[in-house]
Amino acid sequence: MIDERRLKILTEGAKYDVSCSSSGSKRKNEGGMGNGYVAGCCHSFTPDGRCVSLLKILLSNDCVYNCRYCPNRLDADVPRVSATPEEIAELTVDFYKRNYIEGLFLSSAVEKSPDYTMERLVRTVKLLRTQYRFHGYIHLKGIPRADEALVREAAQYADRMSYNIELPSEQSLKLLAPQKSKESLLLPMKQLAGEALVFRREKRKGLFLPAGQTTQMIVGASPEKDGQIVRLTQSLYRNMGLKRVYYSSYVPVVRDSLLPDLPAGQLREHRLYQADWLLRFYGFTAEEIAPENENLPLDLDPKCAWALRNLQLFPVEVNRAPLETLLRVPGIGGRSAQKILEARKYTTLTFEHLKKMRVVLKRARHFITANGKFYGAKSETAVRGLLAAGENSENAMQMSLFAERETALSALTGEL
Amino acid sequence: MIYLTDGTKECFLTAFLYAYSDEHALLSSSQTQLALGQQTVFIAADAKKAARAEKRLLSFDKDCMHDLFLLLRSGMNNREQIAFRYFKLLAAQKRPVRNMLAEDAVLAASECMRKVTLEIHHMHGFVRFLECESGALYAPLSPDNDIVDLLIPHFRARLPAFPFVLHDIKRKKAAVYDGENVFCAPLERAEIALSANEQDWQALWRRYYRSVNIPQRERLKQMKGYMPVRYWKFMPEFGSRGPFLT
Repeated sequence: MIDERRLKILTEGAKYDVSCSSSGSKRKNEGGMGNGYVAGCCHSFTPDGRCVSLLKILLSNDCVYNCRYCPNRLDADVPRVSATPEEIAELTVDFYKRNYIEGLFLSSAVEKSPDYTMERLVRTVKLLRTQYRFHGYIHLKGIPRADEALVREAAQYADRMSYNIELPSEQSLKLLAPQKSKESLLLPMKQLAGEALVFRREKRKGLFLPAGQTTQMIVGASPEKDGQIVRLTQSLYRNMGLKRVYYSSYVPVVRDSLLPDLPAGQLREHRLYQADWLLRFYGFTAEEIAPENENLPLDLDPKCAWALRNLQLFPVEVNRAPLETLLRVPGIGGRSAQKILEARKYTTLTFEHLKKMRVVLKRARHFITANGKFYGAKSETAVRGLLAAGENSENAMQMSLFAERETALSALTGEL
Repeated sequence: MIYLTDGTKECFLTAFLYAYSDEHALLSSSQTQLALGQQTVFIAADAKKAARAEKRLLSFDKDCMHDLFLLLRSGMNNREQIAFRYFKLLAAQKRPVRNMLAEDAVLAASECMRKVTLEIHHMHGFVRFLECESGALYAPLSPDNDIVDLLIPHFRARLPAFPFVLHDIKRKKAAVYDGENVFCAPLERAEIALSANEQDWQALWRRYYRSVNIPQRERLKQMKGYMPVRYWKFMPEFGSRGPFLT
């Protein structure tokens, strides 16, 4: 059994990784313990509002890399500890059995060398899958510059792998994470995407990363604008076939002359996630969401901002508008749009109906008509004022640097 | 007229036949909230009548008995009335009404069903097993809806080698998987002898829980929104005064 001291250090080193989702894998229990849960499953929530789905832990925090923003970088004066693959496997299985977790999210500092570290990561997941016959969810962090064959082997055991691209541009990466390079992160991603494609095309037996790949970048530690970040995200979805891109707003854990002293706002991170949702589920393109060299507006969500720039397209009639159009109405999400499509088959919908169906009308009323009736504000200025005021009164508490908006990260549960 | 049922599907369907043409019908399985001046009839389940009603309703919507199944699992006091209004509309429309979301009866029913299925999903995550000396697993819980037996397939699929008991403290019943068979039984109290390591694993879990939290980002309201406080009771990461953080 691993001791509490090492568990604490190895967990605290891993907790800034945002991803915790356990969705997307249909892995079956083939004798032994555990299976996948396609929708994902949250097992607990911590007071920071984040879900606990996976046992998120480092195999070691003893790093030979010196990334400026990282609490475990080579120069940092912190206690260095490691766990053995056996300890991690035992911990995972005993937590899983008690239904504390949905699986394992294993990462590591680069201990000794990339190959040495990757080899130990692979050994851990292999141990779990073969000896413990554990079929629960495993998310494995890829170590940049590790051998191709190790990466391939890892993918045969893991449900999901991720390489964090860390910073949204090559220059910032060079500056802040000198031992990593764009290629060292993108090449293995490409390798895995290519191999997954071949695997599926040839209909081979078994599983190869059933839950795909994700990545994460730090926002606010370097000067890139949201427009650039959203474009990068879009290209990662299109060209790498990633399942998710995560953003983590910069929290200064270490002081460094090259890094800002203040944390980046949670609200900015929240707006980026909203934009990310627009890309993935609402049929928007990065070009529609924000100009390349601009940030997303903080006072309005990106869909509202887009709608206000394109008022000539509104209002739309809820009884006739197709799904794609409904999804572009501020305040109407996937569920509301589906409800509207179903309900209007039977009757002509009025505002009263929409209210009863719990379609949120606070923003939507300015952009729709129901049975020909319009209840929104008359001019663009009035709409803008009302929308921005709504955002502010909801979040009137927000003054101090550390206070968080309730809305921030609200979409970040493992269930999505 | 108030039609009192015993809470079963058969009794509900029998009452449905009696109450169908009564405009002021009120169906209920609880005797606690009876209005004054209302006549009450106790309905006895009648297999023949129930089968007739079921057949007729199925001819309008082949999936409707699944809806009834979920509605009657609800912990809401007025579940029979919600189901009655839903099935009355179904009988009047003579076609599936599930998606007529502008109808009050459908909205109420779908809301009620959603609460049941959502709680099942929540419980897949929030159930906490204690390891007993014998190696069997025991989980106490008090869900809002009557769902313990509906949780069995999920846990059985992932832990087939472990016999386990899901104990609904509130309804004093248990859903049991003995390693082969699944059954339900009344259970008032359970005497559990914990395995030698159980306390240590709980301590490790608490240590993990407080280490993975980021204190600078406290967002308690959001946390409670995702995981209502009433579910904390049986989770080792929470004490009587909330989450263990020190």
